[in-house]
Amino acid sequence: MAVKFFGQFLVEQGAVTSEALLHAIELQERTNLKLGEMATAMGYITADDIERAHASQLSKDMKLGDLLVELGILTPSQLQEVLDRQKSTHLYIGEALVKVGALTPEKLESYLAAFKVDQAPYVAERIELPDWLRNQPLWETAVDMTYKMITRVLGIRFRPGKCQEVSRLSTNQMLAAMDLSGDATARYLLSVSAGLQKTIAKAILKEDNVDQEPPEVLEDTVMEFVNIVCGNVVAKASQSGLSLEINPPTTIHPALNGLPVPDSYRALLFPIHVSNDEVMELALFIKQ
Amino acid sequence: MKKVLIVDDSLSVARQLEKIINESGDLVSVGHAKNGAEAIKMNHSEDPDIICMDMNMPGMDGLTALRSLVVLDKAVKVVMVTSLGGVGDKFTEAIKLGAKNVISKPFEPENVLNILRSL
Repeated sequence: MAVKFFGQFLVEQGAVTSEALLHAIELQERTNLKLGEMATAMGYITADDIERAHASQLSKDMKLGDLLVELGILTPSQLQEVLDRQKSTHLYIGEALVKVGALTPEKLESYLAAFKVDQAPYVAERIELPDWLRNQPLWETAVDMTYKMITRVLGIRFRPGKCQEVSRLSTNQMLAAMDLSGDATARYLLSVSAGLQKTIAKAILKEDNVDQEPPEVLEDTVMEFVNIVCGNVVAKASQSGLSLEINPPTTIHPALNGLPVPDSYRALLFPIHVSNDEVMELALFIKQ
Repeated sequence: MKKVLIVDDSLSVARQLEKIINESGDLVSVGHAKNGAEAIKMNHSEDPDIICMDMNMPGMDGLTALRSLVVLDKAVKVVMVTSLGGVGDKFTEAIKLGAKNVISKPFEPENVLNILRSL
């Protein structure tokens, strides 16, 4: 069992062929417009406006739509219209498969139910944290910021997995860690596989090829990514009145049996599903 | 051509900044210091016009180095480059200590150049 996308699940189950899935995906891509594309199609904004909003999105934790309103490019009512249009015209992969004639509506319903059961242990609908955890909004911000930066800075598509408490982190290519202190004491850790380490290096160094880079540079880019995430978490926390300090990031190469959680800490693990071959995990060691 | 000294413990940030600066046409990187103490030494040997400095570094951190640099060299202009730019207290402290600006990470090359050219 592994994390899957619905289309992948259907192919695996023999419900549709991969060719049919591809047709459905192409139909989806033609139908589903991103917020910026929809606003452009509706004549409210230009490509230049989107570029301007994307540039300021790098330093502001805001959704594109809200930012377009803040920049005075869209009015709040125009934004609502665009969002409503996006929602009413959105084509899900299952519906697309029905449209291309690969599935009947009845079969779609039964496969959707089976898919939910199959994926229940892996897919987090939202960031769920255990009840014993103090400062929940802070840790929710840490996880949410990680997801946002993976999308914005690294440009990686992923699916967040369900939070679980662990007593040991499994081994991986490397871990980048950063210690937080002040109103909360914790260690933020990001574990990445070799392929993802290179993906991160390409994004941080803005290079197409990093094959010739020495290992310390590849490691440094992961540490820098962690630094960006944690710095922004601290900034966000400061807006809620929490005062936190961060130490410079470090690299850890865990032993084959993994990295144990230190005494007096409890650890939360958030799997970040990128692909079957590449593993990324966020872990928070939180002092009790 | 304005001379810029980069101060950051991260090799990758130094690489990014070096690229932006050296491709600008009107700015040139004169070196990379890995902490505050190295920055003070290299400010003396390289005599930069501008210093781009991280806040959070092992050894002497950026704000401590800033305190010394503004006393030792009244001409050099220091800009802090940090992921902590969004922390109100840190930003204010840097500006109060004499930093000319604070660039938040992740940054856009255009934003970095606009700030460095404005000095």
